[in-house]
Amino acid sequence: MRALRAVFLFAAAAVAQWWWSSHLALWGLAPQLLLVLTVAVAARSGSNPGMAYGFLWGLFLDLLRAQLFGGNAFTLMLAGYAAGTVRRQIDLSDFVSLCAVVFLATWGYFLCYGLLGAVFAKSFLWPGWPAFLCDPLYNCLLVPLAARIAAGPRGGRP
Amino acid sequence: MHRETQISNYILAAFSALALIMLSLPLSAPVRACKAGLLYLFEPAAFSGAQGLQRLADAPAGLSRLLTADLENVRLRAQLRQDLWRLSEMDALRAQNQRFARALGLRAPRGYAPLWGEVLERDPLHRYSSIIVGLGAAQGVALNAPVFGEEEGALVAIGRVTEVRQESCLVLLLTDESSSAAVYLSSAAVEGLAQGGKGGGPRLSVNYLAPEAALVKGDLVFTSPTSATFPGHVLIGSVAAIQPRDPAWNTQSVAVQPAVDAASLSQVMILRPGQEAGPQSPVRAEALRLVPPRRAAALPPEVRPSTAPAAALLPEVRLSTAPAAAGQAVP
Repeated sequence: MRALRAVFLFAAAAVAQWWWSSHLALWGLAPQLLLVLTVAVAARSGSNPGMAYGFLWGLFLDLLRAQLFGGNAFTLMLAGYAAGTVRRQIDLSDFVSLCAVVFLATWGYFLCYGLLGAVFAKSFLWPGWPAFLCDPLYNCLLVPLAARIAAGPRGGRP
Repeated sequence: MHRETQISNYILAAFSALALIMLSLPLSAPVRACKAGLLYLFEPAAFSGAQGLQRLADAPAGLSRLLTADLENVRLRAQLRQDLWRLSEMDALRAQNQRFARALGLRAPRGYAPLWGEVLERDPLHRYSSIIVGLGAAQGVALNAPVFGEEEGALVAIGRVTEVRQESCLVLLLTDESSSAAVYLSSAAVEGLAQGGKGGGPRLSVNYLAPEAALVKGDLVFTSPTSATFPGHVLIGSVAAIQPRDPAWNTQSVAVQPAVDAASLSQVMILRPGQEAGPQSPVRAEALRLVPPRRAAALPPEVRPSTAPAAALLPEVRLSTAPAAAGQAVP
């Protein structure tokens, strides 16, 4: 049952990310739902589920973009590991602290992905100032929803 | 807790290694190709729509190129028409130039002036009977003037003028059955009377040849110096067939293929008598120039008179005694 729920969560989140970025992007900006969910899952369930979800969702993003295949998987997996590690020191059940982690994780995601591009694609993959400045705030707006999803139907592990 | 951290580190290392391997491999292009293939497989409309949008985006440039190409096409077509016209004009001028060059190499007998004219009309029912030439009294054409065609740089007798108008004249061809001219055969050196074939065919016949003459097929037939109409030693044709001897007449006859097909000529030469012209003009030496060297060499030194009955040659003999410029009609 948990496996089915995990598969459903993975597929639903992937479709939601694709649909939002395809149809609801404002001025080219869309929230990084998968990144927020990765951080939320890691904050709720630990590093291992966070890394697993992050890696698979990253692969999905790599399939969507196909610019630097493996880059999103690596970055989201690192975000899950970091969030899982941070939760030992910070109480991430609080929305504010989770928002802060998501905010920082967004910037960390951009920088890490850009550096991977500099290493493997011979150019720093800069997302642009609008995305770099707005996406963290945009992601923070999704934190309550992501935390609710990560908590599961009865508040347990996803 | 320590064990969970250790597992996390292992998972981190495994996922990191996997991700780095994927990053190191050139997978972006194959993944993009697979995506395009899947997209086309499941949603070809989107693929076609993207292509259509791209084509629409390129439409203004394509339309501009199309209009430019159309204008250029119209201009090139007009230029092509002009070039074709010029080409055909050049071909006609080249052919005319060749004819004139050959005509310059031909000399008319002393006392005659050559007039070159175009064939204007042919009788479609009697193509080997007569032609109308665009030279007339205004150009000095006289009745009974000899008419020649040109074949490989040599003059060939084809007929004589039988009707003169102001700007044109009617030429009766030798192949007409009412035509006749005194001729001789090159090898046998016997004279005869060339007459048009019956039925208006392309051949003519030489009759009243001496019975003892050895006739050879392929012999060249030239006008005789005794002809009143034509200067002597001008080629007419060659013997195509030797006719069976008629027991009623003590003569021989041959069929002659004209050297030039009068029905396909486009230009002819008419001799116009000049101031020095006269029945006693020494035309033989000048007329020899009308014959190409190889044919002139084949000519006999003397032309032996025919022993045919005089009555048979009477019409031509009668012509030979009449002045050429007298304007009499030829029977």
